[in-house]
Amino acid sequence: MARISRQEVEHVAALARLVLEESEAERAVGELEALLDYAALLESVDTEGVPPTSHVLALATPMRDDTASESLEPESALANAPEREGSAFVVPRVIDDEDAG
Amino acid sequence: MSEGHPRYDVVIGLEVHAQLCTESKLFSPAPVAYGEPANHCVHPICLGLPGVLPVLNARAVEFAILAGLATHCTVQLHSVFARKNYFYPDLPKGYQISQYEEPICTEGWIDVVVEPGAAPRRIRLTRIHMEEDAGKLIHEAGAAGSDGTRVDLNRAGVPLLEIVSEPDLRSPSEAAAYLRTLRGILRYIGVSDADLEKGHFRCDANVSLKPRGTAELGTRTELKNLNSFRFVEEAISAEIARQAELHDEGTPVQQATMAYDPHTSRTRVLRLKENADDYRYFPDPDLVPLAISAEQIETARASLPELADAKCARFQSQYALTAQDAEQLTESRPLADYFEAAVAAYGLAKPVANWLLRDVLQALGELELGIEAARLAPESLAALIRLVDAGSTNAKSARGLVKELVANGGDPAALVHERGLEALSDSGELEAAVEAVLGEHPDDAEKFRAGEKKVLNFLMGQVMRRTAGKADPKAVRELLARKLGA
Amino acid sequence: MSAPPPLVGLSELRAELDAGRTSSAQLVDRALERAEALQPRLRSFIGLRGESARAEAEQADARRLRGDPRSALDGIPVAIKDNMVQRGEPTTCGSRILEGFVSPYSSTLVEKLEAAGAVIIGRTNMDEFAMGSSTEHSTLGASSNPWDVSRTAGGSSGGSAVAVAAGIVPAAFGSDTGGSIRQPASFCGVVGMKPTYGRVSRWGLVAFASSLDQIGVFARDARDAALLLELISGHDPRDSTSAPEPAPDLRASLDGDVSGLVLGVPREYFVSDGVDPEVLARVHAAIAELEAAGAKLREVSLPHTYTAVATYYLLATAEASSNLARYDGVRYGRRAEGAQSLGDMYVRSRTEGFGAEVKRRILLGTYVLSAGYYDAYYRKAQQVRTLLRRDFDEAFAGCDVIVTPTSPEVAFSLGSRTEDPLRMYLSDVYTVSCNLAGLPGVSLPCGFSDGMPVGLQLLGPPLEEGRLLRVADAFQRRTGFHSERPPELA
Ligand SMILES: [Mg+2]
Ligand SMILES: [Zn+2]
Repeated sequence: MARISRQEVEHVAALARLVLEESEAERAVGELEALLDYAALLESVDTEGVPPTSHVLALATPMRDDTASESLEPESALANAPEREGSAFVVPRVIDDEDAG
Repeated sequence: MSEGHPRYDVVIGLEVHAQLCTESKLFSPAPVAYGEPANHCVHPICLGLPGVLPVLNARAVEFAILAGLATHCTVQLHSVFARKNYFYPDLPKGYQISQYEEPICTEGWIDVVVEPGAAPRRIRLTRIHMEEDAGKLIHEAGAAGSDGTRVDLNRAGVPLLEIVSEPDLRSPSEAAAYLRTLRGILRYIGVSDADLEKGHFRCDANVSLKPRGTAELGTRTELKNLNSFRFVEEAISAEIARQAELHDEGTPVQQATMAYDPHTSRTRVLRLKENADDYRYFPDPDLVPLAISAEQIETARASLPELADAKCARFQSQYALTAQDAEQLTESRPLADYFEAAVAAYGLAKPVANWLLRDVLQALGELELGIEAARLAPESLAALIRLVDAGSTNAKSARGLVKELVANGGDPAALVHERGLEALSDSGELEAAVEAVLGEHPDDAEKFRAGEKKVLNFLMGQVMRRTAGKADPKAVRELLARKLGA
Repeated sequence: MSAPPPLVGLSELRAELDAGRTSSAQLVDRALERAEALQPRLRSFIGLRGESARAEAEQADARRLRGDPRSALDGIPVAIKDNMVQRGEPTTCGSRILEGFVSPYSSTLVEKLEAAGAVIIGRTNMDEFAMGSSTEHSTLGASSNPWDVSRTAGGSSGGSAVAVAAGIVPAAFGSDTGGSIRQPASFCGVVGMKPTYGRVSRWGLVAFASSLDQIGVFARDARDAALLLELISGHDPRDSTSAPEPAPDLRASLDGDVSGLVLGVPREYFVSDGVDPEVLARVHAAIAELEAAGAKLREVSLPHTYTAVATYYLLATAEASSNLARYDGVRYGRRAEGAQSLGDMYVRSRTEGFGAEVKRRILLGTYVLSAGYYDAYYRKAQQVRTLLRRDFDEAFAGCDVIVTPTSPEVAFSLGSRTEDPLRMYLSDVYTVSCNLAGLPGVSLPCGFSDGMPVGLQLLGPPLEEGRLLRVADAFQRRTGFHSERPPELA
């Protein structure tokens, strides 16, 4: 049985930049638990020495030549911007210290 | 010279992000350019628009292979691009395409000379991997005075190599020497301009201390974004001092990301790493694994140029240069190439080294130019030195022309003539000048004849002054000696 | 408004156009009017391209009159799912978070359709970001099944299935990540084909789960499906997962002959447990029909079938959690009003912008990839994926085509599953393995149960679309299920 705590669900939500309302959080715990309980059936599968499949294709890495195309017109690049200034996108003020990377 | 610490062993590991000098981005055909207006070098891929897909830049892979070979790494035939997931406005897709469990290059080393002439230190590299750069955030208020942060994605997706060293460095000066050597290698093999001012070469440093002689590693902190060699040394020194103080007090060092403030010369905590970051790396399903053939690696190996340390050793043996001159001449590949071309034109190495290291580099420095921009061709430098050898002009006059030749080019002999700088060695003018000087200073001539030989220098100076420096000093000396009956 | 008569199959329309009995302008008008007239009942379109579609139809007519049509599809009205971008047109993926987004570039699919002269009349309804099996998770509201409007059209490409089933367009395009073309095709009584992974470029297809997503077609019969697939297939250098294969000649294999072909009947797909017995009966009858046509039957085994749904949901949600990180309100799409800080902007834009099912899957996927769980869930699921692929390799060593039901049931009532996500996921049991193994799969109508269409699924080895369509075509030459029309819309 997967036992997920409310705290874990909230941590995962925070990683995904989502907030859960009080009622949603309880519900999400139950739903995730049910899904992970179901997924637990994989535990019984013997995968000793089985390589993982990330891609079904046995391809050699396709590569492109290093030639630069024209840039997208700035007006096209910015056309969908919720907020812009000149040709820059604008977001609420970022404080230096909340560096994420 | 910034040293380690008297009571603690200092352990430093460096992570360098070097920008590869490609035309287009790592996974997008958008142009790579510097200094363009915001979002003028972008493609739907760089904006992370719905539905876009990455395609790998072949040249970036070639460059990564060259960098791996030049640093004695194993280039992996199979490597994997992974997604590093985190949210930040400079990261358009919400993940960075990087390499994680299976990087392209592993386990290398470079030899680092910390002090000229001293035995090199071998610093091990953990890995080199390829990844895309993030965009740029502009925090200062814009023209329209909005108080938000502006996002420019011109740099988003530019190809980087992340080069990670083992914690083999023991002092700030070693760290700086390592960075200089690494930068030299990347430039030598032509994969990165490694221009620190443009952010082409950025460094993070992991620093920890342990009481001298003990085995257990201390808690390390990470200094972020050190963008000059001087700051690297200063910041690490400051961080060593801060950690030493904590150790002295018995206060535990906390794992943290640090920033260095050059105004106060101190480091401060940016953020504590209470929980390890959870980047949820996984293989990028949009990119199949990177397969490199053994032939491709051998082709790259064959194309690898002679590197600085090998060239330096060869210059010492082939041209009988001092270690110091050889090191200076091999610091950059264009300088070394210039030197060899000038030697080929002139025939002898030592005079070329002297002229190049003293006069040409000084002129370039004053003109704020690199050797590639010098209009004085190596053959012309050789010609200039030969004019001095032949006594056609004197060394001082020739030196005075270097800056002009470097800036504008031209034929040295023609320029000497144009400026009227021909030496007066054979002309009657020189003899007249000597006689005039001896006539003006009979007492000094007398002193010389009485055995006070150093008076000759004074008399020579007078002749040179009278000829406005155009006389060949050798010829003046000979003529004076003859007239004085020496 | 009374609806104009339905548009029949591609070849019929082509013949009418070529004989000058109709024009592209008339066909496109009819398609647009029918779409609008049926929209209140079916909700199959999120957006229609009235004016530009009509202008394109006139150009197609001009080409035809000059005797210079671009392809068999020139001037034919078609529809695309709302997750395939078209330059200058909105794309929403059925999500609030992409409200107002207009794409500055086109998908390869759209470029190919434009090059062929097809007229895209609009974008079809779908579960938000293709996450669902009922088209109920859409900002527009659920599409209804033309055979019974109280029932689901299936999903996530429900709108495209409905558009073809209801005779609005003769052809539509969808995407299939775990059955999202085949299941709605089965529910709506049309042919739905998911090609081999890599066969059709994903450039410009908004990603749900990149290693599973594949564009495919909805059509009235196998012949039309073959024509459409030929047109949209082929290697694309903009998609690193595109198979380096030329577009296949699929119509050449439609000769009606299946004699000697070995049909594999997987034991694990024909257990009575959880399957509507009527559905099983129709599928068995269809298999018997193919046997009568000369095919041989062989029982095969796909022993890891029981792991497929769990494996699929772990991998698909993990990839989705990362693919959907770009919807952050910075460069395009919905941004929450009045956010006080960057963090606030992210959280509120995403929380308000995504619907419940998408959030549920993002949470699961984030959990699966997070530190400490990666090996237990994600890596484990990737290993099991290898076993599922090996099952198929072994099965195809003994047969040419695998035959199964498409879905364990016919279309269920709208609203009956939304409260129980796990039950909804389990109904994908017959379709997800095909995506996990990257195989081609087709669903075709094979009868009715309770008045609702039943789908027969054919699965083949990689790149063997031609073989699947040959079997489907042979079946359709002997039966008339694909010509049945929803009664009240006839
Ligand atoms: Mg790093
Ligand atoms: Zn990095």
